[in-house]
Order: sequence, then structure tokens, then C-alpha cells
Amino acid sequence: MHLNTVSHGMPDNMKHQMLDNICCPVCKEALSLKAEKENDVEILAGFLTCKKCKFDYLIQEGIPNLLPPELQKTM
Amino acid sequence: MKPLTGMVLCSRYAYSGIMKDEEIIQVVKKHYSKVATNGTGCCDSCGCDAGPEDIGRMIGYSDEELANVPEANLGLGCGNPLALGNIMEGDTVLDLGSGAGFDCFLAARKVGRSGKVIGVDMTDGMLELARKNAEKHGFGNVEFRKGYIHQLPVDDNSIDVIISNCVINLAPDKLAVYRDAYRVLKKNGRMYVSDIVLLAELSEEQKSDPDLVAGCVGGALLMDDYLAIVKKAGFRVEILHEDRDISKIQYDGLPLMSLKLGAYKLPAPKVAGVTS
Repeated sequence: MHLNTVSHGMPDNMKHQMLDNICCPVCKEALSLKAEKENDVEILAGFLTCKKCKFDYLIQEGIPNLLPPELQKTM
Repeated sequence: MKPLTGMVLCSRYAYSGIMKDEEIIQVVKKHYSKVATNGTGCCDSCGCDAGPEDIGRMIGYSDEELANVPEANLGLGCGNPLALGNIMEGDTVLDLGSGAGFDCFLAARKVGRSGKVIGVDMTDGMLELARKNAEKHGFGNVEFRKGYIHQLPVDDNSIDVIISNCVINLAPDKLAVYRDAYRVLKKNGRMYVSDIVLLAELSEEQKSDPDLVAGCVGGALLMDDYLAIVKKAGFRVEILHEDRDISKIQYDGLPLMSLKLGAYKLPAPKVAGVTS
């Protein structure tokens, strides 16, 4: 989810467009974003919640952890 | 991703018996976390002196490509998937096992501002490196996701081109990888892969040797078996190149080669007299 715009950049609203083709790795349902920390170009922290299985996938330091839920603790 | 010469000789993991899928994933993860930290694919004691740039040149990258984001080249590929087919401006590209992002950044140049590149990797260290490299070089059209390549966090029918460089051999379930790749590709989407395949069967001991598994050998399949899996996933397959010399140069003469293939998601042909 790196959305830096220094020299090959995109409009600011592109960071939300980047979510267009993201989905739950398990049920493939769409994810809804709750951004907790963001700058002009990138979502740094927050959650992506699966609309079907309701699992919260964590975004940390600009990278969403989209490993299947049962494996997140051991990974 | 590949081992360098001598890796076979310096097993660092005590292990015996057949590995389960989750064990394979952990072995691969542990190895590439270390590579991400050390910045090289080489084990500590192998004594090989080929750097990532030398390896990059040997496996098909141009000097211009190697100069794009040099610190993202860890010398872990077995080919240049970007050279295998056209990546067009505006395309959405997915890299399976994106590592430090080297191939993603090359693809990002090709797709331009109207396209985007998604890298998926399961190793935190690699993802952190990739993100730092993207930030340093200002790639706004590249994003990285932590995930498994056999359970992609990517929508159906949303990707124009998939690339993967010497990674699928590391996956315990290669059919699941190709099936998920097929799922996320758009109709007429294409996949360009460089991967290690075997020319002769390995022993059970070799298949379970963690160093060989992490080094792209232990989990590799015989070429015919590999191609059968790609076809079973639904793809039309085209062999684009075979590199048998790579075995002598980088794999201690083990019976393997680097296979470059194109895999195409085409609509099912219409069969006369059959309606669906």
C-alpha cells in the first residue's frame, strides 16, 4: 500500500483507488478501510475489514497484512 | 529465488523426514528473512564471489534494467520475466513473491502513471526493503501486500499481467498458486514466469533438505509435471526459453534448469454442438 508520489506519482485520491482490487485472502470478499494514520500519499496504519468474515486485517507501516487469519499469529 | 554455489554443502538446518506444507513455508520464510537482512542470497560460508549484478546480467537483465533500482536486486532470480512478454502502459501487474521489489520497479516504469504494480510477499523483511526502495525512488504506482501467493488478496479478473521470478518452486502447493493466478487474471490476461524445474527426480533426502528447499531445488518439480499443473489450472502454456547452463553456474550441477514460460488465460474455445 505504498502510495508515494515523488516522481512517478498519482493524484492524492489514488490511495483509495489502490484498494480497488484488494480482497479477503480467504473468502475473496471486499474489504472496507479504516485508516488510522495517513499522509497525503499513503495509508500508514489502520484496518481492512472483511465485509463477510469480519476479520480485521492490520495495516502497519504502509503494508497490509493479508495472510489468512489463522496463520497471522504464527507468521 | 535461488541459492548460490556451495549452498548445498552447508546445511544449516537440522532436519530429517518429509516436510509438511507449513514446515516448508517456515523454512522458506526463515531463509529469506535472513537474506533480506544480509542483503545476499549467499550462505555465510560458500565462498562464491558473484554479486547480484553479475547474477542479474547472467540471467537476462540489461545494464539499464540493473541500474533502475540496484539495491532492490538481491541476485535471487533465475531469469527476467519482464523480458518474456509485453507489459503495456496502463496495465495492472501483479508480482508473485516480490522480494525487495526489483521486478516490480521495472514493471512500474512500463505501466506508467496510468497503470499500477502490486507485489505480494510473505516475508516481513523483504516487504520492508521493498517499501523503503519504493519510497526512496518515488514509485507511486507500486504497492506491496503481505500475503500468500496461493491465497492471493486480489480480486477476481482484475490483473492484466502476472510476473514471478523463481518463487513458485518454493510454494508447497503449486496447483493452488496457478489456480489463484488464473482467478485474478482478466480474460486474455497473461502470466510470465521464470522458475526452476527438475530434469531428473531428486532423492527423498534432497527433497526434504531445508537448504535445498529454500534454495529453489527441493520443492522443484519435473518439467512435465510442472507444465501439467499450469495446464490443469486452466492456462494455455507456451515455453519461451530453457536455460540449462544455470545448473552448472549456480546450482552445483544439480539436474535442473530455469524454465521461462508464458501462461495465458483465454476464453474456452467454442465446441460445435455444445451449449453452455
